[in-house]
Amino acid sequence: MHASVDQLLSLRDGAPVGAGIREHVRDCPHCSTRLADATRMRERLRALPVAPEPADDAWTSIEALVASIHRRRRRMAGLAPLAAAASVAALAVFAAMRWVEPGTSAPQSAATVASTASPASDEQLAVLQARSQALEAMLAAMPARPAVERAATSVPIESLEAQVQWLDHQLTVADADGRVPQAQQLWRDRVEVMNSLVQLRYVEAQHIAN
Amino acid sequence: MTGFADSELLFDALRRARAGERRAYADIYRLLERPVRTLARRLVSRAAVAEDLAQDVFVEVLTSLGQYDGRGSFAGWVRSITVRKCLMHLRSPWRRGRQWIESLDGEQSFEPGESRAPSSGEALDLERALGQLGDTARVVVWLHDVEGYTHVEIGALLGGTASLSKSQLARAHARLRELLENDGAKISCMPVSTSC
Repeated sequence: MHASVDQLLSLRDGAPVGAGIREHVRDCPHCSTRLADATRMRERLRALPVAPEPADDAWTSIEALVASIHRRRRRMAGLAPLAAAASVAALAVFAAMRWVEPGTSAPQSAATVASTASPASDEQLAVLQARSQALEAMLAAMPARPAVERAATSVPIESLEAQVQWLDHQLTVADADGRVPQAQQLWRDRVEVMNSLVQLRYVEAQHIAN
Repeated sequence: MTGFADSELLFDALRRARAGERRAYADIYRLLERPVRTLARRLVSRAAVAEDLAQDVFVEVLTSLGQYDGRGSFAGWVRSITVRKCLMHLRSPWRRGRQWIESLDGEQSFEPGESRAPSSGEALDLERALGQLGDTARVVVWLHDVEGYTHVEIGALLGGTASLSKSQLARAHARLRELLENDGAKISCMPVSTSC
């Protein structure tokens, strides 16, 4: 019985292996060769060439971004208490809106809906699509995002944007397959995510205005 | 090796950057751009994405110099930021969704996965073979064999255990060996199932 790849790599890396395996590899031409191959593979990987020269303007872009982040931080340092108060207020408004708005309860996964095979509410697809479009319009009407973002808002905003993209992809698949219950839940999820996105973009825009 | 190593020049640039000297930023970039971009390109096969990630790394490094506490290697700190950003990209649902769409469209991906069959007669050198590994296997083999990460460290980065890293490393080596032993003409099919 020859040594496994895992055992050979452990031997190569000096990790503990059974004495029997060690002796076998030493005496077995096949395993000795494979051990040497694994060592050679590591050397070949380490010898692979480094990345080519960067684009000419690579540093210029980085320098500009870094400078603008520093400028913004200096400005924000003076406005930190105000920004904190605005964030708390926005979160309170957001929480209140979620409380009173029908059909925006905790998201239910499309998979859950698929398993129950029944529409979760009486909301029609067209209504959800119209709400989603209205939120899109609100988003489009907002000022452009700043070149330099605040981590407190940019990370969740990027996460929500990724969720929207993912939901759009899922909707394309659901539409192609004619899966109406899944599509309905996906549109509901999209409205929720868009709602959150609009709220956060609003907070971000307020920060810029301040 | 991707060359993440501290040097007197790097420490000097770091000291000057922390003192507010803007020209020192350019020195840090110049000293570390090759290792950062090389590592990003090895972990993320799509070159354009790797370049964007490398740019993000430098923006984060140069705007967070205060967070480096000086206890470990500065180059190592930059490397850990590079690895984290690349892994975040590889895990992102948007990227996975896009890969899926590309597979539907029949578009040839520049981020080869294990399911991508090489074209007939295609010569496979080590770089190409590396590109044909799955994301996890490629990350593990590079971080372990080239960057010197331990299995425990890699397991933690992947949200798993050292065993996950070990098994992925063994899989990566077996696959690399297989790809390098067979050129494109000899690989009639990829092992998508045990019957293949």
